[in-house]
Amino acid sequence: MTNAQPLIQMKSVGKHFGDFQALKDINLSVSKGERIVVCGPSGSGKSTMIRCINRLERHDEGQIFIGEIELTDDLKDLNAVRREVGMVFQSFNLFPHMTIVKNLMLAQRLVRKTSKQEAHEVAMHYLERVKIPEQANKYPIQLSGGQQQRVAIARALCMKPEVMLFDEPTSALDPEMIHEVLDVMVDLAKDGMTMICVTHEMGFARSVADRVIFMDGGEILEQAPPEEFFGNPQRARTKLFLSQILQH
Amino acid sequence: MEALSGWWDDYFWGSVVVLQVFLASLVLMVIFGLIGAAAKLSSNRVAQKISGAYTVIFRGTPEILVILLLYFGSAITLTAIAQVFDPEIKFVDVPPFWAGTFAISLIVGSYATETFRGAFLGVKPGSIEAAYALGMSSVQVFFYVRVPEMWRLALPAFGNHMLSLVKDTALISIIGLNETLFVAKQAIATTGQPFTMYIVVGLIYLSVSTVITLTVMALEHYGNRHMRIAA
Repeated sequence: MTNAQPLIQMKSVGKHFGDFQALKDINLSVSKGERIVVCGPSGSGKSTMIRCINRLERHDEGQIFIGEIELTDDLKDLNAVRREVGMVFQSFNLFPHMTIVKNLMLAQRLVRKTSKQEAHEVAMHYLERVKIPEQANKYPIQLSGGQQQRVAIARALCMKPEVMLFDEPTSALDPEMIHEVLDVMVDLAKDGMTMICVTHEMGFARSVADRVIFMDGGEILEQAPPEEFFGNPQRARTKLFLSQILQH
Repeated sequence: MEALSGWWDDYFWGSVVVLQVFLASLVLMVIFGLIGAAAKLSSNRVAQKISGAYTVIFRGTPEILVILLLYFGSAITLTAIAQVFDPEIKFVDVPPFWAGTFAISLIVGSYATETFRGAFLGVKPGSIEAAYALGMSSVQVFFYVRVPEMWRLALPAFGNHMLSLVKDTALISIIGLNETLFVAKQAIATTGQPFTMYIVVGLIYLSVSTVITLTVMALEHYGNRHMRIAA
């Protein structure tokens, strides 16, 4: 895929939950290798937007393209897209009944049809990468939140995705565990992974993001490179939001 | 006790029949329960209705009636079908073992449907979502994520269903299944000692149920292994 062709394209995407309009006319294009941070007040549609990208939510207006593939109800296309789009959730969502290494092997075996031995090797490789190979045979509940989230990142990476979506990956963590997860994310960014991160970690946004997107009321109000976004926000709503989260 | 001499053989083979019915009906009951629960939880209206009717009918009628209806009903139906091909046939006999096993599996399966449904609803949606996000199909998600997480929640009630299955085996004696209660009735006719003969039946069923209860306890321990903080 060349840089000219965006990896993700959202065209006039809208989404309703009953009468509530969660997304309004979202236009977003992400190229390969780009790192995007999405922020905004709660209920602004950030999570809904990235959940639409792998169709955990169905958009009801507009079009979404992942590479060449448009997201529709076609299951074959959908699973092809989901293989290429890794997702990390706020609450980790590991499979509680499986050991860590089995968590990492399951989708490789079922979806990528990898051999058992190779799946195990890949799993251990990514566990090393998130620096917890020694936890391989434990169950998720026996790990700290920060460790569980690193496992969740490793699990998504095992599928060798083209792009990683992070849905508030540090919001459920104790403060002292946030940096261990952010470290892993910074590493990923350095390796050129395409990333879309919903997060309020503005330090991470400043140092890693190519573009920061601000959402409110289901709309993208502003998007700019971090220096510009933090140094010279254009909209009053953005200024207010930034002053609220940066005042401490 | 001397009244029992000469009957041990029959009791032994009767117990074997109890175990055979239990194992066969256990498999069928799980299948009926899983299909029923999956249908109730599906978005397909027709499947929901059929599964709803299933649980209403089989939970709402006496077990012995279902056994009788299924046994005689299937015999009459099969006879009618057979007569189409060969008018000489007078009566097709349905084996009581299979008619009875099928009947109690359907009955207990209707209770298991509700148990499994509740347990499926108890599975945290997060891990299911994660499985979909990894590109797994809904069939894969069902067998690799939903069922393995569900069965732990279903187990306490499921243990009760297994005990029901064993005890319902005694009901099948009414259509002529050679299980222990059937043996006891024959023994009583010869020896005139109902108390002794029924006590033996009771002890046999009690020992089978005890083994099941202990097995369920062990399974619960195993099923919750990942919930213990210390490895």
